[in-house]
Amino acid sequence: MNQDNNIFTAELVEVTKIFSRSGNETVALNRVSFKAERGELVLFLGPSGSGKTTLLTLLAGLQEPSSGEVYIFGKRVQDYSPSSLQKIRASQMGFIFQTFCLLDSLRVIDNVTLVMKFAGIPEKSARRHAAECLERFGIGHLSNAFPGKLSQGEKQRVAVARAIANGSKMILADEPTGSLATEQGMAIIEFLYDSVKNDGISVVITSHDDRISKYADRVLHLRDGILI
Amino acid sequence: MYALKTLAIQYLRFIITAFGIALCLMLMLFLLAIYNGVSDASVRYVRESDADIWVLQRHAANLLRGTSLLSNRHGFMIKEVEGVKSIAPILFFTATVNVPSNTASMHLVGYDPKTGKGGPPEITEGDTLQNNSQIILDNAFAAKYKIKIGYKLPIRDDTLTVAGLSSGTNLFVIQFAFITLSEARKLLGYPAILSCFQVKVEPGFNPLTVAENIRSVSPDFAVYDKATFLKNNIHEAETGVMPLLYVVAMIGAIVLTALLSLILSVYVLEQQKDYAIMKALGAPLGFLPRIIIQQSLILAGSGLIIAILLFAPMLFAVKKLSPTISAESSVSQVLIVAAGLLTISLLSSILPLMRQRHIYPLEVFR
Repeated sequence: MNQDNNIFTAELVEVTKIFSRSGNETVALNRVSFKAERGELVLFLGPSGSGKTTLLTLLAGLQEPSSGEVYIFGKRVQDYSPSSLQKIRASQMGFIFQTFCLLDSLRVIDNVTLVMKFAGIPEKSARRHAAECLERFGIGHLSNAFPGKLSQGEKQRVAVARAIANGSKMILADEPTGSLATEQGMAIIEFLYDSVKNDGISVVITSHDDRISKYADRVLHLRDGILI
Repeated sequence: MYALKTLAIQYLRFIITAFGIALCLMLMLFLLAIYNGVSDASVRYVRESDADIWVLQRHAANLLRGTSLLSNRHGFMIKEVEGVKSIAPILFFTATVNVPSNTASMHLVGYDPKTGKGGPPEITEGDTLQNNSQIILDNAFAAKYKIKIGYKLPIRDDTLTVAGLSSGTNLFVIQFAFITLSEARKLLGYPAILSCFQVKVEPGFNPLTVAENIRSVSPDFAVYDKATFLKNNIHEAETGVMPLLYVVAMIGAIVLTALLSLILSVYVLEQQKDYAIMKALGAPLGFLPRIIIQQSLILAGSGLIIAILLFAPMLFAVKKLSPTISAESSVSQVLIVAAGLLTISLLSSILPLMRQRHIYPLEVFR
């Protein structure tokens, strides 16, 4: 692993992930190697079941590989304690999900603030920064709305605001356009592209939508767990 | 606060749960109030007497249960003991009386109304006994059977007129009633019989020494100084029907723990995805368990507030409907219940915490 974490935010080295269920083994990823660099938007394209989401969860440190090594910010994932991984996810990673995964019982601003609180940012400054992020994505007027009242596109913008609000160095996006109309979907990708170029963060997107390709610095194809 | 917001979103369920908790707490407060009221009332007669020493028949230890039979002859023996200033003979027996459209039992106390010793601790209405044809009833007993001053109460072969009503004479399962000693003996049919003597010692004498002197006079006596006798009666009151109240209160506490645990588990199941999201986003290790504990404390605290607000009117209504229920609440009881509730809140969080612990952050990627 290149220990220069000024360049790489995450790296997979010969990673294989096998799931066992009722004696049957499924190879989700097979000897995949990959580096995510700062200021780069990487797109993993592949059909359902190709291992895209597994790859993303490995990059997030949410599970460990069956073999091979996963490095997050220059350190082997197994060498992090659970609380260190939690802190890394809270303060240096941002997540965007296909189904947005907002907390419906909290207002929009509280959804964004909560993650910053996880990162240890004091409530007052977290709220101020959350409001700025929402303004940046053109949804400042929705701060006090509940997610249930928002359109799909608005929900995903909130999710993007939440992902970048804590000053993430790496954003992991799982099918971010999957629940959106084309125009809304592309607007979200443009937001992410701007963040990559303006803030120098690393964005890893998994999708089966190749219209995103034009925004990606690198496009990688996954099929049956193999990088092709 | 996420805990409060998730509870507030389902406000109807929150209100119903808080009222359910409040009802359990009111049951516990009520049982404690009965315990307190009966414990106090059962011994008030002994506590408020001015006797320094109580003399009963050998082996008898209290007034509440057990039989003590002495005679006038024993009184003469006690009077001769050095340090004894005066004695007051008292006769106790249980009788069934005809009350309006019913029958009821009462613990009759025969005493000498001239000295007043052995009489009711407090007269709340009417007067003390003036003659043998009068009776003083416990005020709760009178209220229960709607008996007023002047009512003619048939007892055995006699009919006595209600002269007054007393308080501090309600033993929960039975109540004291007071008649003259001679009338008590007449009703019982044994003219020289007694249950006990209240003894007053001469100034300057130590009651413990005088009690020892009385003991030495006759092996027939069980002699107690006031403190010991009071302790005996409190012990008897607390080991009688009272433990049952504790058992019922304990069942109430167990039901409350199960109820709260169930409700919190439902919240965890409903918020399973939220918890998975927060875990994936990097919620600190103690953050999610704290939500459940906060929810538990909010529900319990709301229930406690409702219970405190409703308890006084409920107690008033119960006393109105059933006057013989002797219930006395106090701040210390509320504090005991609050402390118990805190324990219940924490215990009931265990199962939901275990459920929450098994929520996998990868669920959000499904």
